[in-house]
Amino acid sequence: MKTYLKLTTLAASLALTLAALPAQAGAVLDRVLAAGTLKVATDANWAPQSFVNSNNELDGFDVDVAKEIGKRIGVKVEFVTPGWDIITAGNWVGRWDMHVGSMTPTKKRAEIFDFPAVYYYTPAAVAVHKDSKATSLSDLDGKVVGATTTSTFEAYAKKDLTLDAAGAPPFEYKLNPKEVHSYESSTTAFDDLRIGDGVRLDAVVSSQPSIVDAVKAGYPIKQIGEPVFYEPLAVAIEHGDPEFSAKIADAVKAMKADGTLGTLSKKWYGVDYSIVR
Amino acid sequence: MSAEAIIEAKAVSKWYGQFHALKDINLTVHKGERIVICGPSGSGKSTLIRCFNRLEAHQEGDITVNGIELHPKMKNVADVRSNVGMVFQHFNLFPHMTVLMNCMAGPMWVKGVSAAEARKTALRFLERVRIPEQANKFPVQLSGGQQQRVAIARSLCMQPAVMLFDEPTSALDPEMVSEVLDTMTGLARDGMTMVCVTHEMGFARAVADRMIFMDAGQIVEEGKPDSFFGNPQHARTKLFLSQILKH
Amino acid sequence: MLYPDTVEAEILVHKPWFVATMFGAVFAIFLAFNLTSTSFGELMRPVIGEPSQSGLYGRFAIAFVIALLFVLNVVLIGFASLRVQIAIVWFELLLLFLAFFATFHLSLPFIWEKLPFLISQGVVTTLYVSAISIVIASLIAILGAVAKLSTNGFAYAIASFYTSFFRGLPLLMQVYLIYLGLPQLGFVVGAVPAGILALSLCYGAYMTEIFRSGIQSIDRGQWEASRSMGFGFSLTMRRIILPQALPVIIPPTGNQFISMLKDSSLVSVIGVWELMFLARTLGQKTFQHMEMLISASAIYWMLSICLELIQSRIERHYARSKVR
Repeated sequence: MKTYLKLTTLAASLALTLAALPAQAGAVLDRVLAAGTLKVATDANWAPQSFVNSNNELDGFDVDVAKEIGKRIGVKVEFVTPGWDIITAGNWVGRWDMHVGSMTPTKKRAEIFDFPAVYYYTPAAVAVHKDSKATSLSDLDGKVVGATTTSTFEAYAKKDLTLDAAGAPPFEYKLNPKEVHSYESSTTAFDDLRIGDGVRLDAVVSSQPSIVDAVKAGYPIKQIGEPVFYEPLAVAIEHGDPEFSAKIADAVKAMKADGTLGTLSKKWYGVDYSIVR
Repeated sequence: MSAEAIIEAKAVSKWYGQFHALKDINLTVHKGERIVICGPSGSGKSTLIRCFNRLEAHQEGDITVNGIELHPKMKNVADVRSNVGMVFQHFNLFPHMTVLMNCMAGPMWVKGVSAAEARKTALRFLERVRIPEQANKFPVQLSGGQQQRVAIARSLCMQPAVMLFDEPTSALDPEMVSEVLDTMTGLARDGMTMVCVTHEMGFARAVADRMIFMDAGQIVEEGKPDSFFGNPQHARTKLFLSQILKH
Repeated sequence: MLYPDTVEAEILVHKPWFVATMFGAVFAIFLAFNLTSTSFGELMRPVIGEPSQSGLYGRFAIAFVIALLFVLNVVLIGFASLRVQIAIVWFELLLLFLAFFATFHLSLPFIWEKLPFLISQGVVTTLYVSAISIVIASLIAILGAVAKLSTNGFAYAIASFYTSFFRGLPLLMQVYLIYLGLPQLGFVVGAVPAGILALSLCYGAYMTEIFRSGIQSIDRGQWEASRSMGFGFSLTMRRIILPQALPVIIPPTGNQFISMLKDSSLVSVIGVWELMFLARTLGQKTFQHMEMLISASAIYWMLSICLELIQSRIERHYARSKVR
């Protein structure tokens, strides 16, 4: 039993020593350039922004944008797919360098992250079952609404949304739900909606592109009303490396300027979302 | 008694909590001696011999086995135990090992004897307890008497200086008692030093050099079998003998 | 199996009252559902006419036929020998499940297309994460059990704190804690090691208790015999106690292994591409995730069956020394 005790003491002292070291040197860019690879975190369940395509590889708008940023910095891009709440928890400790996953640059998030560049704007819209009798958003007063957990859509439904990123268009709350159900992804929310009008859900707040995609895939749902807000979506990195931030900002600016972003957006959405309307 | 002492107990006392289990025991076991301890249940006879290989701890007095003193902080208890064979009432064979392996385990793992040699020794002693043909069976496949003989062989394989028997026939069916006692008698004849706790008075009369009667944690009477059985001195000894020899 | 009596009881499913009750119950259940619009209603067309217009009569007739078939089936199975009974009932339940899955109208070509990747990436990851975790958890369990049984205050305190903590926290929480918390102490662990660590620690805690009770179930006499021959603690543990405790330990440990296999899916939250992660991801774009989820379920089930078979093999092996 004595060795047992010794081992524990050893582990504890080791932990303390390591904890005393600075967790991050701040030079993310140096690390990226030295390694020649940019590690990008993104979601694997967020078509058409990022998903696993028929070749079992990550693909989508966000993925293309990330690859393009990597190309312009001059490094290879490698993807990791941790859960959304793990990404937004911050403290990446070098596991990945950049997040390109349609993150809305809210003020709260800005406490943890730098947002070097907004690269597109998504209209958020409300979907209902195709049998729904609702014709306008006000018909959904007192109903049950679903949204992806910790997303801006959920925040909007709960009237807790702050779009404080530069250039975010103003919006107003047009939805007065009785209850907001949180889902792991928009698809699981659509799955509950497809069961029937009002069976589990009366409506889902999600991005317009995801609603369009679901309709295309044969989900018995439809968009109702105009988009409720336009969400600016940005590349996120951790605080502490202004050079890295500037490099990403330059890359995205150049992509906007030479039309690359617009082309990518049309490729994936059929519409150019890279400019504010 | 000029032979060297193998076990020496001086003024040994032991308590279980408040209960005084052994009271001031003095006993010396000499090389080649056969001692039979008897007494009513709860008299402390099993406790006493379990102190000899330190399965139990004594609190007062000294016990010396083969020149090594037994005490709580001793480092070489394995030396003592590998030199003192013990046979239990319930055999305590290792059920997950074959009979042969039961006998080989001790020499191989404690004494570092090679497998081939351990096997040879094991077969020799299984022969001696007359069950070599059961070597590859598992203990549960044997009768109680056979199991106890294997247990004896297992202890013998360690080539101990002394054998302790803790009521070796009490858990056996009557018809199996004699095969075990025969084995023990054979051992005694070959000059093995033995301390037996048993109620088999026929066996005791035949092989014992010395009889010890214990009651309430004390040695009440000891002596040669002839005088012990023929002319017991103490009233409690008389009572005990009359009870177990009545039928 | 329970210890059977030598006097045979009358077969339950042949007792008139049981048959009647069974018939009544099934009849009532199916009367409650309107099955006239299903394919079964279509089958009954010769008897009930146009199914959609048959009304109450149609429902009655369908429920009656189903109840009759059900009871007939059960009564007939009652005549078979034990082995045949087991085989038939398994087969029928499996058929029912397949019929249930068929109602999802799954795209088989899509499943076939994705299956190789599900296996080469998902199953492989799931298996190696589980396998490594199982090994580590077993080692932890042995250490933990010994510590919990020891008289050393430190060892006991650490072990009991450990089992209490890791049995008391949801596994998902542990995954987060280890993945997000360890970097605070300076250890940046990757997703896979973090997942393995979480699974090992959690299952190690459960298995500590299993091992402890297994060790305690061994008769004191074994310790005494072992000690009386001069075996030290670790030798006694390794060669005498643990081998005998294994038959006691194995059935509940097998359960743990099976449940770990499925709990390994929790590491998908930290981005490990194992079976569950792929099941939720691959069908996403084309909205065919039901296909993937059901395929993954089937794979999990098959893996579990393999583990069950291995378990029963090991159990039989250890039963060897108990046969007279």
